Amino acid sequence: MADLLQAAGQALEARRDLLGWTAVGRRLRGEQLFSGRRAIEARRSIESDTVSLEVLCPSDGSAPPMCGAASVTLAAGEDPRPAIDFAVRAASRTRNPLYELPPPATMPDVPLDDPEISDLEETALGLHQRLLSGAAADSEARLALAEWFVEREEVRLVNSRGLEAHQTRSEISLEWIVLAGDGDGRVETTLDLTRRRLADVDVERLWSEVARQTADRQRAGPAPMYEGPVVLRGRALATFLHSGTIATLASGRARYAGFSHWEPGKSVFRGPVAGDPLTLWTSRVVPYGVHAGRFDSEGLPGQRVLLIRDGVLQTYSAGQRYATYLGVPATGAFGDIELPPGRTPQADLLADPHVEIIWWSWFSPNPTTGDFASEIRLGYVVDGDRRTPFTGGLLIGNVLDGLANVRWSAETGFFGDYAGPVTARFASFRVTPSRD
Amino acid sequence: MTSPSGSNPPPVEPIAAAGAAPGAIDLPEAMAALRPRLGEAVAALEERTPYAAALLSSRGGLSILVERAEETITQLPRAAGAVVSAFDGQVLVERSVPGFDSQGWQRAVDRLRRDLPASSRRGDGRDADPAPQDFVTVARLPARALSLEDKLERCRELRDRVAGYDPRIVNVRVSYTELRETSVFRSRTADLAQDITRLRLQVFVILGQNGDIRYDWLSRGGTGGWELVEIGDDELAETVAGAARLFSSERIEPGEYAVVTGQGVSGVLAHESFGHGVETDLFPKERARATDYVGRRVGSPLVTIIDDPSLPAAYSSYFFDDEGMLSRPAVIVEQGVFRGGITDMVSAHQLGIPRTANGRRQDYTRKPYARMSNTFFGPGQTPLQDMLAQVERGVYLERWVNGMEDPQGWGIQITCHYGREIRGGKITDRVFAPVSISGYVPQVLETIRAVSPSVALDQGTCGKGHKELVPNSSGGPHLLLQVHLG
Repeated sequence: MADLLQAAGQALEARRDLLGWTAVGRRLRGEQLFSGRRAIEARRSIESDTVSLEVLCPSDGSAPPMCGAASVTLAAGEDPRPAIDFAVRAASRTRNPLYELPPPATMPDVPLDDPEISDLEETALGLHQRLLSGAAADSEARLALAEWFVEREEVRLVNSRGLEAHQTRSEISLEWIVLAGDGDGRVETTLDLTRRRLADVDVERLWSEVARQTADRQRAGPAPMYEGPVVLRGRALATFLHSGTIATLASGRARYAGFSHWEPGKSVFRGPVAGDPLTLWTSRVVPYGVHAGRFDSEGLPGQRVLLIRDGVLQTYSAGQRYATYLGVPATGAFGDIELPPGRTPQADLLADPHVEIIWWSWFSPNPTTGDFASEIRLGYVVDGDRRTPFTGGLLIGNVLDGLANVRWSAETGFFGDYAGPVTARFASFRVTPSRD
Repeated sequence: MTSPSGSNPPPVEPIAAAGAAPGAIDLPEAMAALRPRLGEAVAALEERTPYAAALLSSRGGLSILVERAEETITQLPRAAGAVVSAFDGQVLVERSVPGFDSQGWQRAVDRLRRDLPASSRRGDGRDADPAPQDFVTVARLPARALSLEDKLERCRELRDRVAGYDPRIVNVRVSYTELRETSVFRSRTADLAQDITRLRLQVFVILGQNGDIRYDWLSRGGTGGWELVEIGDDELAETVAGAARLFSSERIEPGEYAVVTGQGVSGVLAHESFGHGVETDLFPKERARATDYVGRRVGSPLVTIIDDPSLPAAYSSYFFDDEGMLSRPAVIVEQGVFRGGITDMVSAHQLGIPRTANGRRQDYTRKPYARMSNTFFGPGQTPLQDMLAQVERGVYLERWVNGMEDPQGWGIQITCHYGREIRGGKITDRVFAPVSISGYVPQVLETIRAVSPSVALDQGTCGKGHKELVPNSSGGPHLLLQVHLG
């Protein structure tokens, strides 16, 4: 990859018809392990080396001057010159307002590569062995499938303004399918998880949680007809926050495209705010965060950006291009979400009756309105110590209305792509059963 | 899991045709150079294992994005590499390397050979080399016959045409994607090559009114040429009208409704119910309830569901899968009775059932799984107007956003961008948004009481869970059924 990146950089440097260029080399090495209930079914070793190039050049015949943009990707062993010729030709045909590439900058020293992951294959096998030990001890639930991807990616970025940056990131991804019951009473749950650090993959605790939830799903009843407080915790809360509405409406690119109505200095909510005020950062410097990086794909340094303070948008999450177009600071790509601690002990948030949602089929609100109606895979009706599981039905509401009336826990935690309160109690969402 | 949509007119004549003469295929140079060496590698590995195979795979393409004030051309990241596989009946072991460099390939073969556990079983010995079979997507107006400038201008023309339809339009995003997949598969008995071109054109319209943003979209595509992505004025006008109607949309009151599905929504229902649920790699893991339902009734007798990678011009068609099976249709549900699933090689072997041509990989860095291709309900006999006439109060669901499978619990979720009220047998301008279908698959399929004759398929992307993304298509006729909406 280094040779290909160097050759591409030299070929780009030699051109006199460009306004700018960026070259990004990626070297990926990975081990994949696929296991059924009893035995490993497949093992794979993968290698991938690519270099992607973005070129900017004057648009053909444009007045006032405009900027053309195109990108190409080189595979291992490929001669970069024909690809660059294509990219320049393609770019010169397109028309965009002028913008510059990021200048050289000091990149933050954010931890991304876990030194505990030395041998990728051994790491995968070790994690799987821990899972098998945990699963063997469980009588209520059983493992149907486990997939482990352990990867290390090295990224080098150079651009025409003299920026040079380098980072290496480790990543562990797992997918487990867990079963409980037999025949028509059999149910399954899926656990998907990505983390960068071995210590953040607590196999035993994850197994314990997912096994208990699978067993609960097996004895779950139908969803109730309900309207009232809904609690989200941990991974479910991270899913809610990362479901697209905030990232879209706070995006400089979306704003430039007319896809977002949010404006700095104005409330992000469409009505009155009750509950705790919303303050939110998007951060690419959370140690071992899923979206963490020393720099983004343009070469902008990782930052912790205050997007929303007390319910008011502070700035857009914008790369260099859209920051230039909108006249706002360049913050770089949207990253992990951080929230400050709330004011209420978690125990108080859980004390009064509520519904808790553990996971949905696919939580996918409309990105511009925030409206959602998502099927519930597992929820609980909670009243004191009594937790009654249910499955099926829909959770109905609006992401922004929910955030306008929520209380956050004082206790905080880290969930891969979200760091903040471990529990949120939303004032009111609806739950409806699948059948009348 | 499946995501975004568009619908395609029913294929009226073959576009993707097999059988080009060997030598006519235009493989990447390095791939063509390596192809003759694959047979010896397979033979060498089968000295230590009962079955070995080689796959050379290159997937890449071109994307053109044209908006109100922005244009970008991207040569899509190419995933090009070689896979060498060995299967002893228990464990599939593979090595993947990037590119088609002969030294890298030989290293992968040598490493796999070295790592294979000692086995007393081995292949049946090297047969005479199989005759090469090469296949190429055929098109009336091949993408490669159009210059980059032609394609860009066509996208701009479309953007400019739509922009004048309504003063509230704040942006029109035209996105053209051209995917090219070339692959070579070699086993003891097969020497196959294919060159597939998939096109997709999407028009995304954004309207603004009093600080609110609403949008709708339209998509066309398939395997073939530019003739598949031509879009008429009526369709564009209806897309703009669809976005405009959303300014006055309401949330639907949750409950049971008589629903007529658009052809795309029918497809998602097929895809999420008896698509994912019958991928046979789930069967040995007890992950699919369908395992216990072979030969049993799972829906109304009006229900037939087919997966067909050989369907002419459909977006997810191919000539052979990533495990060397030549494409042919698989009937999954026939007149309400579950006939059988779709397979990859390993699960077919484990279950002792015939293979279907559904062993697919995201790319050379991923393993093959049993995956859908073009999945659709078979046609019925009730015209759409007759179907609507049967509904006094109900909802017409046309534009889907995503769907999610639940192969074990047979739950289903389909999220639609919006639904339109049906009242007195007519579709009105009253709009509900968003609308989600939820329910229990056999109950949903059992309620189907009319099926239209016209079949159309969408273009989309399908994941196995939330990963392993492959081009995918689903569709069908209009369906009249009773489901829970929220």
